[in-house]
Amino acid sequence: MPVITLHEERFSKFVGRKVTLTEMTKWIPWLGFDIEEEGEDYLKVEFNPNRIDFCSYVGVTRAFKGLRGWETGLPDYKAKDSNITLKITEAVAEVRPFMLAAVVRNMELDEGDVADLMEMQEDLHWGIGRDRKKASIGVHNLDAVRPPFTFTAVSPNSVKFVPLDKNEEMSLQEILQKHEKGVAYKHLIDQSPNYPVLIDRNEHVLSMPPIINGELTKIKEKTTNLFLDVTGTDYEAVEKSLNVLCTSLADMGGEIEKVTVEYPDQSRFSPNLSPEKMDLKTTFANSSLGLHLSTAEIIECLERSRLGARRIKKGVIEVAIPAYRIDILHEIDLVEEVAIGYGYYKLKPTFPSSVTIGEQHPTLKIANLTRQIAIGLGFTEMMNFTLTNESIQYEKMRRKEEKDITLANPVSAEYTIMRQDLLPGLIKNLAANRHESFPQKLFEVSDVVKLNDKNETLCERRLHIAAVSSHPKANFTEIKSIAEALITNIMVGEWKIKETEHPSFLKGRVASIRTKNREIGIVGEIHPEVLNNFGLENPTVAFEINLETLIG
Amino acid sequence: MVELREYDQKTLQALKKLDGKGTIEEIVKASSLAHAAVMRAALKLSNEKLVQLQERTRTIVALNEEGRTYAEKGLPERRLIRSLFNLGGTAKIKEVTNNAKLKKSLEPIALGWLRRKNWAILSGKEKILRASEEPKEGTDEKVIGLLAKKNTIVTQELDNEMRKALKVLRRRKLVNIKDENIRTMELTVAGRKLIKRGIKIVEEVSQLTPELIITGKWRDTKLRKFNVSADGPQTYPGKIHPLQQIIERTREIFLQMGFTEIRGPLVETAFWNFDALFQPQDHPAREMQDTFYLSNPKAGRLPKKTIVDVVARAHEDGWTTGSKGWGYKWSHSEAKRLLLRTHTTAETIKYLSKHKKVPIKVFSVDKVYRNEQLTYKNTAEFYQIEGIVVDKGVTFRDLMGTLKAFYSRFGLEKVQFWPCYFPYTEPSAQAMVYVPKLKHWMELCGMGIFRPEVLAPMGIKHPVLAWGGGLERIAMLELGLKDIRLLYGNQLGWIRGTPLCQ
Repeated sequence: MPVITLHEERFSKFVGRKVTLTEMTKWIPWLGFDIEEEGEDYLKVEFNPNRIDFCSYVGVTRAFKGLRGWETGLPDYKAKDSNITLKITEAVAEVRPFMLAAVVRNMELDEGDVADLMEMQEDLHWGIGRDRKKASIGVHNLDAVRPPFTFTAVSPNSVKFVPLDKNEEMSLQEILQKHEKGVAYKHLIDQSPNYPVLIDRNEHVLSMPPIINGELTKIKEKTTNLFLDVTGTDYEAVEKSLNVLCTSLADMGGEIEKVTVEYPDQSRFSPNLSPEKMDLKTTFANSSLGLHLSTAEIIECLERSRLGARRIKKGVIEVAIPAYRIDILHEIDLVEEVAIGYGYYKLKPTFPSSVTIGEQHPTLKIANLTRQIAIGLGFTEMMNFTLTNESIQYEKMRRKEEKDITLANPVSAEYTIMRQDLLPGLIKNLAANRHESFPQKLFEVSDVVKLNDKNETLCERRLHIAAVSSHPKANFTEIKSIAEALITNIMVGEWKIKETEHPSFLKGRVASIRTKNREIGIVGEIHPEVLNNFGLENPTVAFEINLETLIG
Repeated sequence: MVELREYDQKTLQALKKLDGKGTIEEIVKASSLAHAAVMRAALKLSNEKLVQLQERTRTIVALNEEGRTYAEKGLPERRLIRSLFNLGGTAKIKEVTNNAKLKKSLEPIALGWLRRKNWAILSGKEKILRASEEPKEGTDEKVIGLLAKKNTIVTQELDNEMRKALKVLRRRKLVNIKDENIRTMELTVAGRKLIKRGIKIVEEVSQLTPELIITGKWRDTKLRKFNVSADGPQTYPGKIHPLQQIIERTREIFLQMGFTEIRGPLVETAFWNFDALFQPQDHPAREMQDTFYLSNPKAGRLPKKTIVDVVARAHEDGWTTGSKGWGYKWSHSEAKRLLLRTHTTAETIKYLSKHKKVPIKVFSVDKVYRNEQLTYKNTAEFYQIEGIVVDKGVTFRDLMGTLKAFYSRFGLEKVQFWPCYFPYTEPSAQAMVYVPKLKHWMELCGMGIFRPEVLAPMGIKHPVLAWGGGLERIAMLELGLKDIRLLYGNQLGWIRGTPLCQ
């Protein structure tokens, strides 16, 4: 989740009155921020990616002022025409099809503003741009170049420029190969024969979107006039990124001007900062929240959330949504705005009157009964992960590898497949508890996952029980009688024990547990080689039973 | 009056037989009690000041094999001097040794000691031995004789001269020596008085037997008193895992509140885990770095077309919900990908797509997965608590109230609800709970009302209140753990030592 650090003094500057750290700490969570860290004169807060407009001081303070009732309603953003044209050539269509732009004049950028601007770009690249794929931003010193501008795609070696913070010219090809940003983002363009560049009338390079800007248009303190460009593969993401940026710069004191963007087939003015409209039914808001607010009260709540709101007919409010809000998809999103404007802290919990009778899941009921019997038999419960690896599941158990449920992206070699049996985990538990006193009698009642084509997921979750008993005198007779005690105490029905072979158990001391014609479990003495593999010293006996077949 | 046990009394009697004083071994012999019983009696009787206990060390000496041979045949030097006199008191060495029939290896020893003891003079090139009279038995020989007769002697009982001789024998490696602790009991005045009054022995029994019970003999039997505070062997019961115990407590709370338990597969399709919950296909949470996908089997099957198609529409343009949707082209193959479910909500939405009759209150406390390294605060698999209420007209405030009631059962009474964001709920909140144990607010779960874009494709007509959060936080709080790995470490010592009622 994105993070922003808010210093008390700078925060107060943008609010327009003194706000203490205590006040910030008290109120900011009610806007949806998580306080990560409290410093002496600052707060480090986390915000949700749906409110990407919180990526700047002005973004946070305009919401803060609304919540406190100091400045409410729709912030008004005006933009006049700059008479600057941006031409988009057909060549970019296949690599970076969309670009929008804006001009911001008369900024008085201080050190903090420049840092904010950088931070904002990063957050937008991540939050809307999906790491520059859908949208990426370039901010330029307008006075260093001459309009009109052209966004085009050229062959990788035909253009050279000095990338940001470097001092020698590099070709587009070299930038992708050598520059750190080129290496990091080349996958976004290198499948195309031509790479995108933004140039001015003298063919000076402003940037190579979405990789890097040119040193030529670098923003410094005292830069007053800005040219903003946003390019991308998703028009909406491009537009939203530009809107969040423009409105923030406007709130920081800039004057926004429109650019004429000429696509091969059409042209449009950018940015478009006019608010979107959406209707909210007052009954919908009240019934969702469990409130009985009047239309006027709901309007006040919406205005505190910095939305425009007016009654258009009985029970319907027309809501105007500022251009920086990217998260309003549906009327229900306005309901949450009402709640935030009202104050979550004022919502009194009520208890629903729905009368129902609760019931356990039948499988978990069986699991618990089985647990009770295992504990009654003197066994202690283990809880292992369902993720395991081939070495424990097969190799150390002397078993041949079977077809597994395998992770595509395991996080460590320890956890690569889903377990098919509980027993290897219990043997591993014995190995980890060698220093504890014996006898050790362990059990687990839990899930294994097996392949099963009949299910949508081609897998089946199955409840098993396994138990091990480890001590100097452990033998087949002991574990057989325990397994039998367990089965007879869980289920009614016929079952029998039949001689069998299993690589994890000693030959002649292992039996299969069967109902009618089906094997439901195995019981026996663990093979000494398995014991050696796990570094165990005591004879160990074990059983494992599929509880779901047992239940029927 | 002191109450004496059977073996205390028998010990006193043995001491009487031994004239009031004896070692533990002597008492064992005299009383026919087990050594351990006499030792217990010694402790008790000395506590009661009926006897005085003394402990001293004695050194016990015995001949070794070589020593025993010499005891029989005489020391080598003695055998040599005897031969010399057999030969008349003056003879060549060679003749003397031949006559003595000494082993070759013993000759230098014999000659050495002969000269050291000044028993004979060796002179001339001819090496002639001379002695005037046969020497008397030396102290060392007396000690050997004594040892041969008594098998062992106690050095502390020897006189000075003999002790010196013993030292020489020790140097000559003819004896074995070991130290022994000797405990002696001696009757005190009080002990003697007690005995004078006479001791009548009542037979004591430690184990009550079926025979004693059936025959009624227990009436005439004295059952030995046990030292009830003495340490016995430690017993470990069969036991539920502490985490399972907390799962059970959580389930119980849900059941008490009238919720029904649901349970779904661990391996899910992306469709039920994400798409059905209106999570766009390029949402960061769906990426490989957050979610475990399967390489085998790779893709599952989607549910019936009527559901899939409208879910796709909801994503693309909002379908009939009035939503704008996410505005992208929805992919079937992305939805078919198999993964380890990241939340139990995958099962919840599936359940709600099939069960329409309200009120519905369902819950699960079940396993979910996140692509995380195992650290002190994260595990790749963990338990999620989830509760759902569906009914006509239920509200956001009802959700708050349900949740408050739920956590109050854990003793967490103070709850705050902060705005929050989840892709499939609106309005959303996170529940912050004040933890008295830690004296601070802690985030416990996320909550919200399912979005219309989630409800409409499944044909759900009423508000769905939902909350969910990790169980481990509560578990660690309850069990006082700081490291989540301990919760899953299956350390027998920890499980055996953790009380269940906390």
